[in-house]
Amino acid sequence: MNNKFDALKDDDSGDHDQEQGSPKDSEKEKTEDEDKDQNASKKKVSEDRLKCLQPSPAGSRVLDIILPCVQMVVPGAGEHPLQYNYTFWYSRRTPGRPASTQSYEQNIKQIGSFASVEQFWRFYSHMIRPGDLTGHSDFHLFKEGIKPMWEDDANKMGGKWIIRLRKGLASRCWENLILAMLGEQFMVGEEICGAVVSVRFQEDIISIWNKTASDQATTARIRDTLRRVLNLPPNTIMEYKTHTDSIKAWEDFHGLVNASGGR
Amino acid sequence: MLSYLDDFYFNSNLNHYHELTAPVAFGSGARMRRFQCGDMIISVLSYVFFPLSRYLSRRFSADQAQKEPLFSDAHVAEVSHEGLRAAVVDGTAAWDGGLARSQSTPLDQCLRPRRAAGDTEERMTEPSPERGGNKTPGADEERLASALHEEANREAATGTSEVQAAVMDGDQQQEDRESAGQEDGTVTVHEVLHMKPSPADGTDCPAEGQSSEQALTHQLMSLHTEDDADNISSPQQHIQIHDTEESLAPPVATAATEASECWDEYEVQIAGDWRDGAGGSEPPQASVSSDAPVQVNLDGPHDAPAGCCLPAPAHEMQCSLWQVPAGSYYPPVEQLFPFEIIWRVWEELDSCSAAAQSFTKNTMNFTVMSYNILAQDLLEANEDLYRHSPLRVLEWSSRCTLLVKEIQKWAPDILCLQEVQENHYNEHLHPVFAQMGYTCVYKRRTGTKTDGCAVCYRSSCFCAVSLAQLEFFKPETELLDRHNVGIVLLLQPVVSQGSAAQVKGPALCVANTHLLFNPRRGDVKLAQLALMLAEIDRAVKSCKARGQHCNVILCGDFNSVPHMPLYQLITTGHLYYHGLPTWMISGQEDLSYKTHCHRLFAPLWPSSLGITDNCQYASVNDLFESHHQESGKCRYSHDFMLQLRYCPAACVRPADLNLIPGVTDNTPDASSGNQPYGQRSSGVVTHRLDLESVYQHVLPGSGSSEVTTLNSGGGATVDYIFYSPQRVVSSEPEAGGEFVSRGLKLSGRLSLLSEDVLWGMNGLPNDTFPSDHLCLLAQFQLDLDTV
Repeated sequence: MNNKFDALKDDDSGDHDQEQGSPKDSEKEKTEDEDKDQNASKKKVSEDRLKCLQPSPAGSRVLDIILPCVQMVVPGAGEHPLQYNYTFWYSRRTPGRPASTQSYEQNIKQIGSFASVEQFWRFYSHMIRPGDLTGHSDFHLFKEGIKPMWEDDANKMGGKWIIRLRKGLASRCWENLILAMLGEQFMVGEEICGAVVSVRFQEDIISIWNKTASDQATTARIRDTLRRVLNLPPNTIMEYKTHTDSIKAWEDFHGLVNASGGR
Repeated sequence: MLSYLDDFYFNSNLNHYHELTAPVAFGSGARMRRFQCGDMIISVLSYVFFPLSRYLSRRFSADQAQKEPLFSDAHVAEVSHEGLRAAVVDGTAAWDGGLARSQSTPLDQCLRPRRAAGDTEERMTEPSPERGGNKTPGADEERLASALHEEANREAATGTSEVQAAVMDGDQQQEDRESAGQEDGTVTVHEVLHMKPSPADGTDCPAEGQSSEQALTHQLMSLHTEDDADNISSPQQHIQIHDTEESLAPPVATAATEASECWDEYEVQIAGDWRDGAGGSEPPQASVSSDAPVQVNLDGPHDAPAGCCLPAPAHEMQCSLWQVPAGSYYPPVEQLFPFEIIWRVWEELDSCSAAAQSFTKNTMNFTVMSYNILAQDLLEANEDLYRHSPLRVLEWSSRCTLLVKEIQKWAPDILCLQEVQENHYNEHLHPVFAQMGYTCVYKRRTGTKTDGCAVCYRSSCFCAVSLAQLEFFKPETELLDRHNVGIVLLLQPVVSQGSAAQVKGPALCVANTHLLFNPRRGDVKLAQLALMLAEIDRAVKSCKARGQHCNVILCGDFNSVPHMPLYQLITTGHLYYHGLPTWMISGQEDLSYKTHCHRLFAPLWPSSLGITDNCQYASVNDLFESHHQESGKCRYSHDFMLQLRYCPAACVRPADLNLIPGVTDNTPDASSGNQPYGQRSSGVVTHRLDLESVYQHVLPGSGSSEVTTLNSGGGATVDYIFYSPQRVVSSEPEAGGEFVSRGLKLSGRLSLLSEDVLWGMNGLPNDTFPSDHLCLLAQFQLDLDTV
């Protein structure tokens, strides 16, 4: 029932959910299959880049997928390599069109991948700050190979910390958050999947996703690090939400929508 | 003139003895008070010890009473002549025996510093009035001697508190002797002065004399101030010289003559100084005034931690004539013996038994001097600032001589100089320093300036580990466009054990700088300071990486006054600067009347400078963070990543970046470049070095402000020595000496002076101080067992 865009939408304040549409089932299936395969291979790659360069004994299909892996982004000479490669994504609900008619591809775009601090700044510096984005938009920064969606293998057992910000704080908090993530400041091994900033009508939301929602030690550590790097006031409300809960909430919501004749 | 000297005498006494005496007032009232006090003392002493002494004092005071009205300028010369004559007579009688000589040595030693200040001259003349009045000087002499001896005994035996109590007693008894009251003070001095040459005294208390001599010697040895080549010779030698020079004259007389030569230098200045402040109405008492520096010197033990301001403009007067002997024979119970050379007093601050600790602890004492020596080129370029100084004291040759003398006198183990002109350094200063056993580092300012900073350290005490010579001129950073420099030197204490020198103890980071003068450019000063602190931080971290503790000494001319923002940043480690006017950072001038002023806005400096708001190198931070991380992890701190934000590689648009209007059409702008969203926008700058100032910036006695520099524009404190203070980690110091402590213990410092006093010396530079700054000098104790 759910789809990628819904996943991205989860942190929405809710004012646009009714307009939200989903891709056609066939389209969605296709995408998900593709995603899964890609995820499987790319994740391996990101976990061990050396392996991906070795010839694989697997079937032709796997080989097809490995090919882009060879072209994977690498740090330039003299640059400061990151522990993981990351990919920037951008999504936006096109104004004036019913959400239901928009496909996933129309809504989310890969901006680019990078492997070093320098390459990160190269992308980041040419991107508008979240606070200056217009409309109903999101930036996603995920490890290369992990799609910013609940169903991704890396995410399906996971969850996220959510912080709602009043207008005007998103740019600073987002930058602090991703610098900490890229710089491996969270110290939770491979648990971090990515981060999202969602620009909404009256507020902005930032969230950081991790793999294992049930690992309380990890989630607590992420929370504490977040507080520190974002320099949050002590009374800031932070909410942890598992993706399964998000999915369920979405289904319930859409059930209501369906019952009332929508979709 | 003598009257002014007199005033000076009382003034200086006051500063040191105010604990002991009742509040005193100006003018004649003060005089009454003074004599009353003297009376008190005398009465107590004699009361306690000897009926004879009481009798004597009464008698003398009676004599004095007759003399007193005659004390006027016209009479002074005559009086002093008489006094001199009398002294000579006495001296010939007194100075035959070897005992007398030995007896005189402790006193002589005590007097040595005073003599340097040129004080002793009138001290000889002082007794004379009484002598003149007395028809049997010899007999008097004997009686006085015995009385004196008692007094000395008493002084040696009793602590300050007892003396104080005695004063109280004396106060009550004062009415008895009202007629003699005024004279008593003088009598006391008289006794004091004659104690030395009197044979009876010498024979009576040789042991005591010896002991106090030893004590004094010990104290003197413990100070580095002893090195004054001119004045220092062993007491015995000194006396012998006198004997040979003037066989007929008593040593004291000789000493007085010598002293008078020194004294001449200061007479005029003192006169000028005290005319206004202390009330010229005082009747001239040559003897009294002559004792002034002595008093100051000796007074120290009583309130050394609190008071030091010897020539501070006295707002009151005080009676402490009687305390000359007290000072001389003051028991060396504590290591609190201030040692004065010329105008400035050495303050011992280590009240709690440095000696005791040295038994249990492996410690090292060292001294640090910071001195802006005024580059000759700058002097000549800003002649207006020194119009008050006679040309002869502005010549480099004479200034250089004084300068070298001053440094040799204090012989610091670490010497940090500012405004060292390159040619003078090469031709004059460095050769001298090298000869004195210093290893020197010199850094000239960039640009066209001819001066720079120098750090010299005694090669026998330290060896260098690393050296950084900082240039604050950064062409790529608009803010840092001024040609100032700094030196950060990492030293390792060296302890000689037997013949072999051994490296021991925690490292010592010595940083010396001279920040921009311009009072309006507080922003530049802060940035320069940040560069300095970052380099110090790197040095400290490099020690930590080796598992070694590192103490910090940061000194120099910061061109900022105490308690203003720049100073706050150093001493508190924290400054919220956002919105402050730039002139306020240093506080040299109050420009608040200006309707428009530049203000500071966050961030202070661009991140391309590579300095974080914590005054650390971003890269160093990362370097040492990565030291602890698991191998193979690419961890980067926030600051480190920001440092690369506008690196060339990051400013090229990625080829594969699709142009999405409103999303990916941003242009990196390094010029606006201060990252707008980072933590730096907080408007706060901090550092993690724990630093304290050696000086408190207020003279303890008078409460007036210390100044470290003075020119025709006025005086101010702009020079500092900051250090890592000792922090006791364990809360129980009694735990068998096991407590963990780090840092440096401040054990002494050379007192500064007030602006009034310096103007009294005709401002700076003058015949005594060769620069428009005073040198700062501090002694530290380093625990060598700390690693």
